[in-house]
Amino acid sequence: MKDFDYLEPASIAEASEMMLAHPGGSVMAGGTALMLALRQRMVTPSHVISLRRIRDLRGITHTPAEGLRIGALALHAEVARSPLVRQHAPMLADMASRLANPQVRNQGTIGGNLCYGDPATDPPSCLLALNADVVLRSARGTRVLKVDQFATDYFATALEPGEIVSEIRIPPSAFDAGYHARFLRTAAEHRPLVNFAVSLRKQGDACEDVRMVIGASTRVPTRLRKAEDWMKGKTVTARLAAEVADLGASEIEPISDIRGDGSFRRDMARTACRRTIEDLFNPAGSAATSAA
Amino acid sequence: MNKPEISNAFTTVGRETPQINAIEKVLGKAVYSADMKMAGMLHAKVLRSPHAHARIVGVHTEEARALPGVHAVLTGDDTPTRMTGIHHKQHRILAAGKVRFIGEEVVAVVAEDEETARDAIDLIRVDYEPLPEVFDTGEALRAGTIEVHDGSGNLACEYNVVRGDVDAAFAQAALVHEDSYETHSQYAGYMEPMATLAWRTSDGRLHILTSTQTAFLQRMRIADAVEMPVSKVRVIQATVGGGFGGKTAEECNSLICAWLATRVDRPVKFVNSRLDDFQGCRSSPPEKIWIKMGVDKDGIIIAKEVKIVADCGAYEGLAGHVLQVSTVRSDNMHRYLKNVRLNGKLAYTNNPPHGALRGFGGPQAAFALNSHIAVMAEKLGLDVVEMLKRNAIKSGDTSVHGFQIGSSGLSECLDQVSDGIGWDSKKTRPKDIGVKRRGIGFGTAIHVSGNREMGNWDGSTVIAKMAPDGRVTLMTGECDMGQGAFTMLAQCCAHELNIPLSQVTVLPTDTDMSPYGHGSIASRVTILAGNAAIKAAREVRERLLTLASEKLGVPKEDLDMANGEVFAKSPAPNQKIPFGDLARLHIYRAGGEALQVTATYDPPTFLAMATPEQYGNVAPGYSFAAQAAEVEVDTETGQVRVLETFVSDDCGKALNPLAVHGQTCGAAVMGIGWALYEQMRYEDGRLLNGNFADYTMPTADSVPYIQSGIVESMEPNGPYGAKGASETAIVPGAAAIANAVYDAIGVRIKTLPITPEKILAGLRAKQAAQDASGASR
Repeated sequence: MKDFDYLEPASIAEASEMMLAHPGGSVMAGGTALMLALRQRMVTPSHVISLRRIRDLRGITHTPAEGLRIGALALHAEVARSPLVRQHAPMLADMASRLANPQVRNQGTIGGNLCYGDPATDPPSCLLALNADVVLRSARGTRVLKVDQFATDYFATALEPGEIVSEIRIPPSAFDAGYHARFLRTAAEHRPLVNFAVSLRKQGDACEDVRMVIGASTRVPTRLRKAEDWMKGKTVTARLAAEVADLGASEIEPISDIRGDGSFRRDMARTACRRTIEDLFNPAGSAATSAA
Repeated sequence: MNKPEISNAFTTVGRETPQINAIEKVLGKAVYSADMKMAGMLHAKVLRSPHAHARIVGVHTEEARALPGVHAVLTGDDTPTRMTGIHHKQHRILAAGKVRFIGEEVVAVVAEDEETARDAIDLIRVDYEPLPEVFDTGEALRAGTIEVHDGSGNLACEYNVVRGDVDAAFAQAALVHEDSYETHSQYAGYMEPMATLAWRTSDGRLHILTSTQTAFLQRMRIADAVEMPVSKVRVIQATVGGGFGGKTAEECNSLICAWLATRVDRPVKFVNSRLDDFQGCRSSPPEKIWIKMGVDKDGIIIAKEVKIVADCGAYEGLAGHVLQVSTVRSDNMHRYLKNVRLNGKLAYTNNPPHGALRGFGGPQAAFALNSHIAVMAEKLGLDVVEMLKRNAIKSGDTSVHGFQIGSSGLSECLDQVSDGIGWDSKKTRPKDIGVKRRGIGFGTAIHVSGNREMGNWDGSTVIAKMAPDGRVTLMTGECDMGQGAFTMLAQCCAHELNIPLSQVTVLPTDTDMSPYGHGSIASRVTILAGNAAIKAAREVRERLLTLASEKLGVPKEDLDMANGEVFAKSPAPNQKIPFGDLARLHIYRAGGEALQVTATYDPPTFLAMATPEQYGNVAPGYSFAAQAAEVEVDTETGQVRVLETFVSDDCGKALNPLAVHGQTCGAAVMGIGWALYEQMRYEDGRLLNGNFADYTMPTADSVPYIQSGIVESMEPNGPYGAKGASETAIVPGAAAIANAVYDAIGVRIKTLPITPEKILAGLRAKQAAQDASGASR
């Protein structure tokens, strides 16, 4: 990698100032993606601004009124282990425990993951299904965005100069079930080909309310609004699961690359969606095969 | 080399023995080439061709030269005009005139540090005039097409072997079946990318510390390419972080670094990035294999015709040898096969060059062959394991190509695997009909232990030297690249001298001091260097006994040795003398010469490859393996999960069962990776996935618990009966998995790798065929 100056601000305000003072700088959280890019010279920053000393970016807390607050520097492994996350957003803890590989889980952060904007990862879809808020702070103040406002395109976010993600908030919700399905093309892959995240409220065999998201095969995580509307208020049968999956798969614009062409990705999105719904409701006539 | 077991309290032969160099590796203390630093050391980087085929019109290096910290910017025009290569000397150290593949080294920079070298690379501009490119072997061999090498017709080499009366045998066959198969290229995927440190001393000698399997072949090749006498070139083997065939004498990191050290006055280090390594490596040759096979009503293979077209890539390297192996070797597994007609063609293309990789052509042929046999067994209504056993070559047989099989445990491997995986019950259980369907399949393998080639000599030499404290140091020209060669040599020596393993040190190869060796290729080291080590140790033993007899006044036959001492068995059991005393005595009695023995073992084999007939006993021993895999295919996603696999390796005698187990499991994992996960993705000759995020090698998560069994067929030529055990188990896996997939879902994948997309396409095609036949009824 090329030489750079290394900075360690102690506060969000100081970090924000440094970022504005050094527009050619890169912000570093866990560094799992940045180090690779630096070594390959895909980025050649003048400064690397490490957030590691900023205490305000750490910690996982919960209040009944506000819900979960997860500091941006929380490691994936910390999210996976946190009793608070496991209690209040179990699908997030479960997703974090299966994400990437152990090295990345022990070094990568949830905030860093969002800021990198790589579509082929799991947290964004999961957080969108949980209706999470992304809190952005800078010297100018604070903004709160939903994940689908924050993730704007392939490797692009709504972050403005001098802004950093300070925390993720997961508001209390009326959902009582959910799952994040991580679908790997082969068992040797570390990155999802597609993922499907769902939060829902059950009433017996029926689905009262639902949020569904497909990611990793799309430029940004995509809400399946038609599929959600079709599913709401209905008894979930194997047939309904298939209909929801068909609708959901039709709502995405899959990317095509060497890891999978668009039609294969759409087919796998449909399968992951259907299987996950079947697993959550276990209706008669389902193939009873787990999604991941 | 068998003889009655000597009484030996300290032997580790046949016992699970940790590698003698494992501790330094797990402690992070092993010194790899990239770890080495020298005063004044400079760093090299190369600029690679972005074109698959282009004329180099101009190279503009002025800006790079002007960059502070840059010591040299060198192009193909600066390299010796002498060509380098294995058989065909086809390229210069850096490309000159034209480039023939994307990734070919065009310009080298030497600078104060690696980052400056990279900066300088970015400042170089090369003008190319693109030439028409050829990537497909079929197109490459078409008359009048674009030539990669002028006048070659793109035919790098061709083998034609005919034995017996093939047409008559086909006419007699109860069943004849023909089909085509395709295999893809595999990257060696060693943990340590290639790295070299080279320097010149003031006497003009060139010293090269590098990651290599073949130090002496490197010396020969480098001396030739840089136009220096071999005595002025010294190659030192650093700790090697895996080789798998990729660190022989084909890769160019070491060659370029060595030459650069002749052009600057300071030591030069060149460490491949992983991308450098992917682009500069020699991956295994992809092959298109057509097989026509005839069997009698009992499933005995009586006739075989094979046509192979292999993709050489831009330069031949060892790909011709690999093709030779693919063409002839697998025939030697079948004892009744006498009628064969074989044709192998190696085609130049503008793909990156291919070459040696673990298995060396065996996996390609075994995939096609074992797939083919499974089809024929089904057509005959025969159990495939029964068919494989009926055909399995036996100890004492001479095969169709003249291999004299001193030992074969192929049948025993088949039995062991069959029992181990529960073949009979799994084969006869009701077929799964749900979304996920299980299936089971088999593959078999033959591999050589040694292979007579270079110089019509396949020997190995070991020097055993006893220090005045009684410890033994062994020197060899063969290399330990993690496979356990040094532990094996120490075990043989310790066994013969009845001393603890810790009393033996094995030195890495240094061509200034070590005896000559071809190196660690063709699974040759156990059978060849092992025998040499035994010979050397026995001579040391003789000399110790002679000296002790003189010193103690006891006849030699009344003496024995244990734990570093020679003692008298009778008449005075208390009389003894330490090895150290005898080693010192040797110096005094032998005119100042230390107790040092040089022993060579050259096997009774034949250089078949040099004859057009390709007939004869090429190796002192042949290893065999069988593998079964049970898979579960998800019919909605096309995913294949290997539920269970059992692989048995006939390695003659497992000198170190722990090492054999490790090699077998590692090779099996590599086979699974090749079959299911790994794929070098090219677009017009450009590698799209030269990193481990996109080139997905198997992880612990993606392989099952691998059961491995050992069959000890006791090779008469082998040290204590041993044969090679490092490559055989990569050979059968892909076919075992493909056969299991077929068993599960009735779809035969004939083109590797077995991807979800191919599985789904196969299922769709099967469904369409069923619908069509249903509609026609």
